[in-house]
Amino acid sequence: MRQNKQSLAITGAVALIALLVLITSATYVVPEGRQVVITQFGKPVRSINDAGLHFKLPFIQEVRRIDLRILSWDGYPNQIPTKDKKYIEVDTTARWKIVDPLKFIQTVQNERGARSRLDAILDGVTRDVISANNLVEAVRNSNTILEVIEKRKKEVEEAESQAAKTVKVGTVPAIQEEVSGEVEPIEIGRERLSSMIIESAEKELLPLGIDLIDVQLKRISYENSVQEKVYGRMISERERIAEKILSYGKGEQAKIRGETDKDLKSIQSKAYRRVQEIKGRAEAEAINIYAKALRKEPGFYRFARTLEAYEKALPKNSRLLLSSKSRFWDVLKNGDAR
Amino acid sequence: MAYNNGQEPDLGTEIQKRLEAVFSNPKGLLYFLAVIIVVSGLYSSFYTIQPDEEGVVLRFGRYHATTQPGLHFKLPFGIDRTTKVKTKLILQEEFGFRTRSVTGKRTSYKEGGFSEESLMLTGDLNVADVEWITQFQISEPQKYLFNIRDPEQNIRDISEAMMRRVVGDRLVNDVLTVGRTEIAAEAKKLIQETLDSYEMGVRIVSIKLQDVNPPEPVKPSFNKVNEAKQEQEQAINQAEKYYNQIIPEARGKADQKIAEAQGFAAAILNRAKGDANRFEEMLTSYQKAPRITKDRMYIETLEKVLNRLDTVTVVDPEVEGLLPVFGGLKNETK
Repeated sequence: MRQNKQSLAITGAVALIALLVLITSATYVVPEGRQVVITQFGKPVRSINDAGLHFKLPFIQEVRRIDLRILSWDGYPNQIPTKDKKYIEVDTTARWKIVDPLKFIQTVQNERGARSRLDAILDGVTRDVISANNLVEAVRNSNTILEVIEKRKKEVEEAESQAAKTVKVGTVPAIQEEVSGEVEPIEIGRERLSSMIIESAEKELLPLGIDLIDVQLKRISYENSVQEKVYGRMISERERIAEKILSYGKGEQAKIRGETDKDLKSIQSKAYRRVQEIKGRAEAEAINIYAKALRKEPGFYRFARTLEAYEKALPKNSRLLLSSKSRFWDVLKNGDAR
Repeated sequence: MAYNNGQEPDLGTEIQKRLEAVFSNPKGLLYFLAVIIVVSGLYSSFYTIQPDEEGVVLRFGRYHATTQPGLHFKLPFGIDRTTKVKTKLILQEEFGFRTRSVTGKRTSYKEGGFSEESLMLTGDLNVADVEWITQFQISEPQKYLFNIRDPEQNIRDISEAMMRRVVGDRLVNDVLTVGRTEIAAEAKKLIQETLDSYEMGVRIVSIKLQDVNPPEPVKPSFNKVNEAKQEQEQAINQAEKYYNQIIPEARGKADQKIAEAQGFAAAILNRAKGDANRFEEMLTSYQKAPRITKDRMYIETLEKVLNRLDTVTVVDPEVEGLLPVFGGLKNETK
């Protein structure tokens, strides 16, 4: 009785465990961000990317989980010569996604396999695209910089010509730095280069069940020996600009000093001219006034003015020689004035 | 045991006895298991979301709900699983430097060794060292968790790529000086657009440019340009100072001379007018009796003049001799 009960309990327990095993084997969970491939005796039969609880044939079907999320790929920095023979290091990064898990596991099996294929394909394509173009195409994205340069140049020229024309003190414009470096127009640009890389890599990746979402040129830097030269060029450029600014300053200084002398002389001579004019005009008028009045009786004027002159001209305590024929003595000599 | 002094029952053996009693009975064992299951079920059926978090609930792996801060219930035994995401927190990625510690009053930074992140080519093929931070916030936790693997790394990669794209379209001078805010704004826009295209569920809060410098070996020559600018201004200022010292004074002096001339002019004019008037007045009276007036004036003048003199010598031209000159007036009659 007790044995019966016990064996019943054991059978029950075994059945329960078997049921549990069956349930676990027949169900599986697809979490968010994952997809699964169901394989039957190792052969992929279908893929599911719908998150949630799913059923499968127990025991004979197996589940392989594969990422559904966007994955990133980071390339090794590559040394690539550009079309204009500049050695640069290009570091790219890409985002990709497994869109056909069946193909994916058939062709590359797993992510590691995929990565090595990505390395090979993307490195090659990047190398092709970069080396077929000039360096600027990979650096710049548009030609707006050329407009900026034009504008800047115009400003500098304007400032310089302004400085050359108006030497009005206090408004001397300080000269700005001029634009430096090599600037040539681009035809393709960074973004287009990226999409060119994507376009050619895409074709090779689609058969692997991989969708290439984007490729970004993360870092582009000069190779070390080139970098030295670039630094040297930057330094010499800066020095040239510094010299120009300095000499401009000295030139402005000399100009202002010259201007000072010019203004000084002009002020002084103008004042002199004005003084002479004022005096001359006054004198002329005085002459007119005298002439107008004196014309009325010139003889009397001569007489009266001579008398006045005697009075003023003969100083005190001096000697005077006077002829006895002077009219003053008439009375003295003759006793009569006439 | 050390605590057992033989008087009190041993607690360890007591528990052992009880457990033995439970496990020796199959029913007791079942009860025990049931209790454990219920307790663990209860324990795993609620969870707390902190104020700076949101919880993403998956039911059988499928997205079920996003929960807000507070106490929440869920289905136990791993049927519902929650992932807590710090959505209120502003996260930060640093480029070109790393914050070493924020303890104490001062934050210390590690600068060296990250130059490969911050050195970039400018549009004129020069090199600039741009350090910046990207601040972001998880705006949609569901997307953040399930749409992309390793979102932080992707944010870093895209930040670098976009910052270089923005800097690559600018002149080195603009990058180093006036372009900072513009660069930050444009980079923010581009990064946000790119991350949105991945549906990453991230909001870029801000891009902040930190130190933006020329590369180390080039720095001194950039400083030289700045010094030259200073010197230029100084030279111009000096010259202007000289001008301002001299010209206003000269202007004042010129005005003074002109004013003096005007005074002179007024004086001679007035004198002329006075003289003329006086003459005219005199003339009117003279014309009434010209002869006698003339005589009177002559005599009066001579009187005045002679009176002032020390000696007056009268010479008679008819007298022959060596010296027709005598000392005094009295000797001179003929």
